[in-house]
Amino acid sequence: MANTLAIILAGGAGTRLSVLSEERSKPAVPFAARYRIIDFTLSNCVNSGIYNIAVLTQYRPRSLNDHIGVGKPWDLDRARGGIRLLQPYQARGREQWYGGTADAVYQNLDDVREQRAEQVLILSGDHIYKMDYRPMLAFHQEKNADLTVGVMNVPLEETDRFGIMTVNEDMRITAFFEKPKKRDKGTLASMGIYVFDAQTLAEQLEAESPKHADLDFGKHVIPGMIETMRVFAYPFEGYWVDVGTIQSYWETNLAFLEPKPPLNLDDPSWVIHTKSSERPPVKVGLQGQLRKSMVANGSNIRGRVEHSVLSPGVYVSEGALVRDSIVMNDVWIGPGAVLDKVIVDKGTVVGAGTRLGFGEDNKPNELEPDKINTGITVVGKGAHIPANITVGRNVVVMPRADEEMFQSFGGNVPSGATVGVRG
Amino acid sequence: MNILAMILAGGEGRELGVLTAHRAEAAVPFGGKYRLIDFTLSNCVNSGIYDVAVLTQYQPRSLNDHIGIGKPWDLDRARGGVRLLQPFQRARGQGGTWQEGTADAVRFNLDYITERNPEHVLILAGDHIYKMDYNALLHLHVETNADVTIGVRSVSPFEAHRFGMVMLDSDGSVTQFEEKPKRTRSTTASMGIYAFKRSFLEQWLTGEGLTQHDFGRDVLPSLLKKARVFGFNYQGYWADVGTIQAYFEANMALLSETPALDLYDPDWVIHTRSEERPAVYVGADARVDGNLLCDGCRIDGTVTRSVIGPGVYVAPGAIVRDAILMKDSHVGEGAIVDHVITDKRVVIGAGARVGDGEDNTPNQLSPNRLNTGITVIGKRAQIPAGLSIGRNVEINMNVPASVFPKEGVKSGETIMG
Repeated sequence: MANTLAIILAGGAGTRLSVLSEERSKPAVPFAARYRIIDFTLSNCVNSGIYNIAVLTQYRPRSLNDHIGVGKPWDLDRARGGIRLLQPYQARGREQWYGGTADAVYQNLDDVREQRAEQVLILSGDHIYKMDYRPMLAFHQEKNADLTVGVMNVPLEETDRFGIMTVNEDMRITAFFEKPKKRDKGTLASMGIYVFDAQTLAEQLEAESPKHADLDFGKHVIPGMIETMRVFAYPFEGYWVDVGTIQSYWETNLAFLEPKPPLNLDDPSWVIHTKSSERPPVKVGLQGQLRKSMVANGSNIRGRVEHSVLSPGVYVSEGALVRDSIVMNDVWIGPGAVLDKVIVDKGTVVGAGTRLGFGEDNKPNELEPDKINTGITVVGKGAHIPANITVGRNVVVMPRADEEMFQSFGGNVPSGATVGVRG
Repeated sequence: MNILAMILAGGEGRELGVLTAHRAEAAVPFGGKYRLIDFTLSNCVNSGIYDVAVLTQYQPRSLNDHIGIGKPWDLDRARGGVRLLQPFQRARGQGGTWQEGTADAVRFNLDYITERNPEHVLILAGDHIYKMDYNALLHLHVETNADVTIGVRSVSPFEAHRFGMVMLDSDGSVTQFEEKPKRTRSTTASMGIYAFKRSFLEQWLTGEGLTQHDFGRDVLPSLLKKARVFGFNYQGYWADVGTIQAYFEANMALLSETPALDLYDPDWVIHTRSEERPAVYVGADARVDGNLLCDGCRIDGTVTRSVIGPGVYVAPGAIVRDAILMKDSHVGEGAIVDHVITDKRVVIGAGARVGDGEDNTPNQLSPNRLNTGITVIGKRAQIPAGLSIGRNVEINMNVPASVFPKEGVKSGETIMG
């Protein structure tokens, strides 16, 4: 295999994930109790034998930096290759953030040169999937391609979210439409996975960069190459999901509780590596009950947990009930509290007797009606929710909201409200 | 203060039977995800001691794998860090012999002490369960200008025969030391923890104590009259899990509402080599109460009052109670497991009943060791489907399903394989 450099685009704000990506980029959002979204792509790389990785960050990178560190959990702390976190930077005569996906790569072409990469695998840090990239790299060589795009079929009603393409019988791409409004272009969608020859990549980006400040692979680079160069589609068949919305985030997490989960997380031949926090085992008290749930080490279950995903260090007190919920690290749930269809970010305290996701009123969130409208209440990191109140559905509690911010609601936060908006 | 900790981890732990058939006692799993030595290692680093030597002897491979370069304890360091010291043969000119006993093991490694150049050497056991800040003991040691300071604790008189028993003067100096006495007036036991002034240790082991092999039996009793020896009274939780019953009880004690040994204290983390596994999964028809469950286990049956290691699978309809199941053990559908310890990767076939019946006949081969109703299954043993296995049974490691008698295994029997 040629000398391959993987570049993972991890700068996305993930705005549709509401408060979950308020203080962290989307790839750093916790997933399936123990993981972060980026773990899947990082593990795919090392499991595919790619040990040279650049992660391009932009939006709120601190959480991602902490998580990846020197890359130890992925065996990426290496003398040659390994992992580098590349931040946007200032240069003489140019002061700007990454304008688009291809611009981010363009601004880091010096890393591609420095690493003496012969081919570059461009990946997104936002997706949940297990994929061996080696057959795709071999396909790229075989076809003598200038660019190979990883593709899969998506449902027709979702084609407007993707780059959609048509191919000939040799899988050569004949036309490419970025997020087409009309549903007449077929269902073959780009997964945002590209293999370039390093030389071609540099040439294309240098040629296109002056024309577009927001240089994007889907919008500019791929369409510009189809006519004149050998651009191929590599079909991927398997589970792949972009957990872009609160609803899909919730669904995808809970799908792992089914007897046949979408991905086997316990496959010794394809381990999903992550930075583990060092915790004692899960302790289930004598009154504790767990049903159809995933619970990570360090949690202490004295109440009832049903159909939920709990990250490390969650404390569920006596008499509390957690149902259809996702609870992240070190959340404390007081005695008698009830959580129903709630996503609670790290370090939040839920006071005794408080009910989150309360009542039947399904009014969409007033500030984010297009994002929070399926009945899921979302609580940001480090919030303090007072005891003995009720909080309805589609409610957003901002990160670090304190008890005072709940006072104006008088013990009853109605469905669709947002708590703790500053200013 | 410059301290070198030397952890004696070579002990066989014979009383633990099949659990120590292939590993040193210090490497025996505990509390689901730990090994016994994690407690002593974590005590060292939590006490700020980052210069640690681990002396191995009996079956060290599991211990070597576990400790590695010491990463989980932040002991992979440029200066200090953890060193695994293997036994070696004396040079031919010196008789070509191997080390014999704890003091001899330290004597063999005096050159390592010279190289590390500490002021004091803290000698520890690798097979005790406790959380202790060694700084208090070391402060007393320095303050009293002691040659040796022994960690001691109160024990009940009927336990005295298991320990080195000491008598303390009003000033805390040790006036008497008897190793495992049949009868004694003392209720103060040595914890097997000794701080030595380095110069004194070297001098003693190469001089007057040159022929002494064991700290408890030889060294300490004989140096009392000739050195300043003090006792440091420790009052926290401490357990020697050197017997099956003690091991079982110490594990089960973790399940109480407020265990004496708090594993959840963020200020005194017990570090270990964690398995890379997904979260615990509990199925829709499972029942779990009063357990410790480790990441990577999957429970579809009923588990009560048990310690479940990483990757254990309990199938639908299976019942596990009062059991310790180590890593990657598998309990088949409808099997019943009661008062059982399984080592790693044990497979219990569907419908098997292990720890079955009321017959409490002690183990016939080791009646003194296995007599409290606990059945112990060695690593990778395979229990055939539907078989009944009684209590106080011991099953050796790697025993395949084919060797079990069709009619089952009665209480007190041993399956050698």
